[in-house]
Amino acid sequence: MALYHNPPMAYAQEPNTAPIEHRFNPYSDNGGSILAIAGKDFSVIAGDTRQSEGYNIQTRYARKVWQLTDKAVLATNGFSADGNNFVKRVKQRLEWYEHAHHKPMGLKSIARMIQTMLYGKRFFPYYVYNILGGIEEDGSGAVYSFDPVGSYEREACRAAGAAQSLIQPFLDNQIYFKNQQPESGAEPFIPGNLPLSTVLSLVVDSFTSATERHIEVGDGMEIYIVMKKGRSTDDLLGEGKLQKGMKVEELIPLGESSDDEDGQGGERTFLVRQALKRD
Amino acid sequence: MELNGGSVVAMIGKDCVAIASDLRLGNQAVGIASNFDKVFPVNDKLYYGLPGLATDVYTLREHLRFRVNMYRMKEEREITPKTFTHLVSSTLYEKRFGPFFIEPVVAGLPTPTELDPHPKPFISTMDTIGCITTPKDFAVAGTAADKLYGVAEGLWEPDLEPEDLFETVSQTLLNAVDRDALSGWGAVVHIITQDKVITRTLRARMD
Repeated sequence: MALYHNPPMAYAQEPNTAPIEHRFNPYSDNGGSILAIAGKDFSVIAGDTRQSEGYNIQTRYARKVWQLTDKAVLATNGFSADGNNFVKRVKQRLEWYEHAHHKPMGLKSIARMIQTMLYGKRFFPYYVYNILGGIEEDGSGAVYSFDPVGSYEREACRAAGAAQSLIQPFLDNQIYFKNQQPESGAEPFIPGNLPLSTVLSLVVDSFTSATERHIEVGDGMEIYIVMKKGRSTDDLLGEGKLQKGMKVEELIPLGESSDDEDGQGGERTFLVRQALKRD
Repeated sequence: MELNGGSVVAMIGKDCVAIASDLRLGNQAVGIASNFDKVFPVNDKLYYGLPGLATDVYTLREHLRFRVNMYRMKEEREITPKTFTHLVSSTLYEKRFGPFFIEPVVAGLPTPTELDPHPKPFISTMDTIGCITTPKDFAVAGTAADKLYGVAEGLWEPDLEPEDLFETVSQTLLNAVDRDALSGWGAVVHIITQDKVITRTLRARMD
């Protein structure tokens, strides 16, 4: 034993000098990406359905896009526990509003409410990036994007989440026509005026591109389309309008059609699903 | 990479290749120069871009110029894109434990030979220690790499003619660097074809 300066396994007998500290981390990043584009009389809100933590896929189908009212859809991205809970509380506030005022909350009011709800937790934030899409009071398609503490802005399009850096510059180019000029004599480009078919193609291309290059994006995609009341649905439901592999369903109206005096019906929301690569 | 900023993209077209870079040289968030070219010719069919640490751009460029000149004199022929890629790669790996902070991109058209009368356009890229990838479509590197991937994946298509390839690579670069604070401040594009090289400086956002 004299060979050893310290007898082997001596460390096992040594008393632990420093106590091991444990610290609970209340946040996590669940990956995925969301995206919304406004049209003249419609709005498209989309998200992928993969939910992951690190290199681990927790589920291939987790919802990130939520129908709030007949004219509002909310997409959440970031920490999904916070996202789910936030949506739950937004829906509760919307229900209280309807009971108090006998009408559903308008889109811009929902946007302002989301700001106050997010800022209300300024010092223990919901770790969530929100994008709100829908139809404004005047019938125009709208997109509102938020940061986790409630700073918000109305825009023509916005991408958020893991693949924001991949998708947003593509959208700048294709939606805002950045770095493009119309040919001399041609009409000027107007952002937020693209037809639905073009917008849908851009959404699909954005997500297939993001799926190709980002490990946290994939599995499936859900695209919500909110249409202004009385708008033709031919460009979505017409023969051969849907791309290969797409499935569409119309979501049943949530509110009682109290504002149906003009006989046009209300806003209509459609849900298009498409598979994405699972690798 | 984040010290000086800068980005490079290369794309394959139909019997042509394109390589483009921004022109910014910065010191972290502060812009220093808007004429810092990161793409250099080896010969009139082979170009390479060196985004990364600016001091290493000069060192590596001069080192490669020396090695290519020695190759030219010994072999009495021009270096091929593939051989050049391996020259760059081994140069980087020599400094395995104290690397050059550079992610090179190589783009070239191999000269037709008797054995291979119709060689394919060639692009390649490496990490800082010389691990090679040879994509079939496009290669990106630099501080706007993730943005470049997103836009290139959306805009690129196979068999683009030289002028269409120019538009694709230019739009990809401009829209990607406009979302990157460390890249931009002008851009330069080279389109390499069998009979000529077209070099254009692009008007870009200067903010």
